[in-house]
Amino acid sequence: MKEIIKITFSLTVICIAAALILGAVFAKTDHARKEIKEEQDAETDRGLIGFGAGKKVPADLKIYPVYRYVIKDEKGATVLGYLLPLKDKGQALLEIDLSGKPLKAVPVQGDAVQLADRATRDKAVSDALGKGSQATYAETFNIANLGDKRLAYVIPGSSQGFKERIKLKVSLEPELTVMGVAIEESKEDPGLGDKIKEDFFRNQFVGKTHDLLKELKVIKEPLPADYLPALEPERAKKDKLTPEQVKEIKQKHLKDDIYALTGATISSRAVTVGVKDTVRRFTYRLGILNDAIKQEKIQVAF
Amino acid sequence: MNRNIQLLWNGLIPENPIFRLALSLCPAVAVTTSVKNGVLLGAAVLFVQVASSCTVTLLKSFIHPRIRIPAYVIIIATWVSVIDMVLPVVSPAAYNEVKLFVALIVVFAIIISRLELFASKEPFVPSFFDGMGMGIGFLFGLTVTSAIREFFGAGKIWEHDILGFEPLLIMILPAGGFFVIGFIMATFNWLEYKITGKIPASGGGH
Repeated sequence: MKEIIKITFSLTVICIAAALILGAVFAKTDHARKEIKEEQDAETDRGLIGFGAGKKVPADLKIYPVYRYVIKDEKGATVLGYLLPLKDKGQALLEIDLSGKPLKAVPVQGDAVQLADRATRDKAVSDALGKGSQATYAETFNIANLGDKRLAYVIPGSSQGFKERIKLKVSLEPELTVMGVAIEESKEDPGLGDKIKEDFFRNQFVGKTHDLLKELKVIKEPLPADYLPALEPERAKKDKLTPEQVKEIKQKHLKDDIYALTGATISSRAVTVGVKDTVRRFTYRLGILNDAIKQEKIQVAF
Repeated sequence: MNRNIQLLWNGLIPENPIFRLALSLCPAVAVTTSVKNGVLLGAAVLFVQVASSCTVTLLKSFIHPRIRIPAYVIIIATWVSVIDMVLPVVSPAAYNEVKLFVALIVVFAIIISRLELFASKEPFVPSFFDGMGMGIGFLFGLTVTSAIREFFGAGKIWEHDILGFEPLLIMILPAGGFFVIGFIMATFNWLEYKITGKIPASGGGH
């Protein structure tokens, strides 16, 4: 009996000590970790719209986040809510029912910086909706403008990979042609499926128009050697190709399907399906959102 | 020879975790597809091994023998979680490279076996050197295995193109990992037989 108390005591003390250490480390590092994560996300977004490492970001580049919420209203019906930045500095939540009909727009308290924080935003949204409604955050997509001109859309997506879900981001040109693909989080096998992160795979999607993307497949064929310089900027530099030559190669292979990575067909397919799904869903949503904005006559910032 | 140096040497060759003890083969096969991955995982294991060995040897009079296994697991898990939280702040670039492996380290057989066999019985200084020796031995094993696999599987060393083509893709696949480790193990045994004249005793395996 005495021993069991001793054992329990000893194990409890170890657990509590471990918990205290972990808690202290977490409290000390949490803020810095979040900041670094945000910085990395912003970097990925900039890279996707063509202002990656080393390139100067123009002063008139503006990125507007649009937050999508799934709302259960007081009658129990599900509607979608888009939190949009307004021209005159405010923010509004536009509610759209599932068939695409705009319902109403309610103003939301807070400025863009405050609403970037998830907890603050969730609270502001549920305050704006009033009692009885429940809003669940779904995702954020970014709209990038260069001056008054639309530059790109950056949309998050995900797809079932070899083991865990692959989180990716797709950037689209205004006419919905793929501008870039970034893998945000993946746990594919190192050395095999891991290669989905590399330029020569990701850049195969670049330039695929909306129509090409619909029919896009993954083929188990080796990547043609002459295609490589168009996919890897570094190789183009090494081979001393002019931008026109690179463009020509790209044009020649524009209608090619995606060449699977050797030994990682499942990962290759997962990314392809992810990109296709993400773009398809976004196209549908964007159409509805634009119609709704027009019908409700909302003065949006973008 | 000084005992501490002997402990370091012991981990590197005579009781190399991968080639002689055959411990932690599963992660060793999974990540040694490129030298970079192998070295990074090796470095992470080295740190956790030394830190856990030192912690256990300091706390050994407090840990009741009956609950030593859960206590060791908690100690290892604490160190791993601390790295997982501190590294992204200290060096985000390095963390992006190793985050895949860091969480794996909790269940490495080599770490808990050294705690059980050595650190729980010996004083602080030898435990430190035993942890160092085993960690370096693991790092060495991973580096050698991954260099062979990356060279033959992808034609590269540390992501630098050497051959310009991929000679044997199987080397990158898990089966290739077992081949390479098996061949290196055989070489070790053959060398030992040549030098000592004795047939090596079979090691464990987990």
